[in-house]
Amino acid sequence: MADRKGAYGDKANDTSFRKTWDRAEYAEKAANRDHKLKEEGRARYEAAISGKKYYKRASTPEDAKETEARKSRLDVASRVGTTMLVSAGSAIGKRGKGAGFYCEACDLTFKDNRQLVEHENSKQHLYAIGQTGEVRRATLEDVKERLAWLKRKRDEETGREVLDLGTRLEVQKEIDEREREEKRRKRNEKRRKTKDGMGIVKQEVENDGIIC
Amino acid sequence: MAHAADAKKALDSRGYTGSLIRGDNPLKLFEKPVRDRIIESYYWKEQCFGLNAATLLDRAIELTFIGGTYGVSQRPTPFLCLAFKMLQLTPDKEVILFYLQQEEFKYLRALAAFYIRLAWEKDAEVYETLEPYLADSRKLRRRTREGWTLTHVDEFVDDLLIKGRICATTLPKLNPRVMLEDEDKLEPRISALGEELEELDADDDGSEGEVVEVANGHANGNGHPEEDGDNDADMDAD
Repeated sequence: MADRKGAYGDKANDTSFRKTWDRAEYAEKAANRDHKLKEEGRARYEAAISGKKYYKRASTPEDAKETEARKSRLDVASRVGTTMLVSAGSAIGKRGKGAGFYCEACDLTFKDNRQLVEHENSKQHLYAIGQTGEVRRATLEDVKERLAWLKRKRDEETGREVLDLGTRLEVQKEIDEREREEKRRKRNEKRRKTKDGMGIVKQEVENDGIIC
Repeated sequence: MAHAADAKKALDSRGYTGSLIRGDNPLKLFEKPVRDRIIESYYWKEQCFGLNAATLLDRAIELTFIGGTYGVSQRPTPFLCLAFKMLQLTPDKEVILFYLQQEEFKYLRALAAFYIRLAWEKDAEVYETLEPYLADSRKLRRRTREGWTLTHVDEFVDDLLIKGRICATTLPKLNPRVMLEDEDKLEPRISALGEELEELDADDDGSEGEVVEVANGHANGNGHPEEDGDNDADMDAD
């Protein structure tokens, strides 16, 4: 439809909800559907001829990936002790992003990392991600390659560790310095927050509080 | 041919179609309580999902101890979970031999030896393949039900060939070596100690003839399984 001007001359902007009657698009959709019906009809005919039963299957999407193992562990330890602000109504049961572990692909929240892992192994999630849930069988060459690669990675990491005592001491000193600075800064912050910048003053009672 | 990412289908009571070991589902080599513990463990769910024979190496090189189940709640060790995964995958013989023969990762070797003892059906092959590793004396860390012990690769291989139960599983029956030697399927064993052993024997004969208890090399698969520390005897607690 042409842009309709309202009575006061303003154009209605948010008309994206209205259907656009694009003939070509709908013609194409109809052609696809006819084609699919024909295919299905033919499959049914062939099955009937050979005496077998025709099963209507949802076809695997072409870009379905094979399932692979996790590359890294689920990082839970880093979230211990942190606080997250979550809006109260955004999660109904498991749907929606609420407090806990969230799965983006399925829009579900889980209260526990264990439930999240179980969900990530489930068929529901694998479909949502686009994985088939089957794992490729490895040949001997794959295995050899993988072992060589892992060996190399491990050697690189051990090579990077510095074994010289002098440098190790220096590195450790620097780390200690940094930690001390952090602690000092935090303490100052805390003190500044309290009244008059005095900090929490300990009340001294005579006789140590023991009533004589 | 592709693996299933999870063992659920293989354990389904509706029937198993897949490679058989000793005429049955390979996963049945582990007892039901142990199987249940493994499947419910976090390590299995997180780390053993979607592995194949190559990515299993990632997990295997991170192993730092062997063991069966430990603790009051019979938690499975990662070693046991990976062995279970290998039973599900049933890799080819050449892959298993590769795992066993590689020198760098001793826990992977222990895992392969365990698999061989469980899965291979010809006794002579098992002896022939595992005996060279009775010379490997690297240390292994072992988690028992209540704590930790030190063991060695050769001790572990010896246990596999002799004991009836190890790492929370009852090992399938293996004919004693002497029986196979009598049937001419195997040559008598040539120990790596060689002459030292003969000298030792000569010394022993010279001593007073005290009765020394010697564990006779004998797999007790039928009758009374020899129990070691990893036995889950808490089954009767249920």
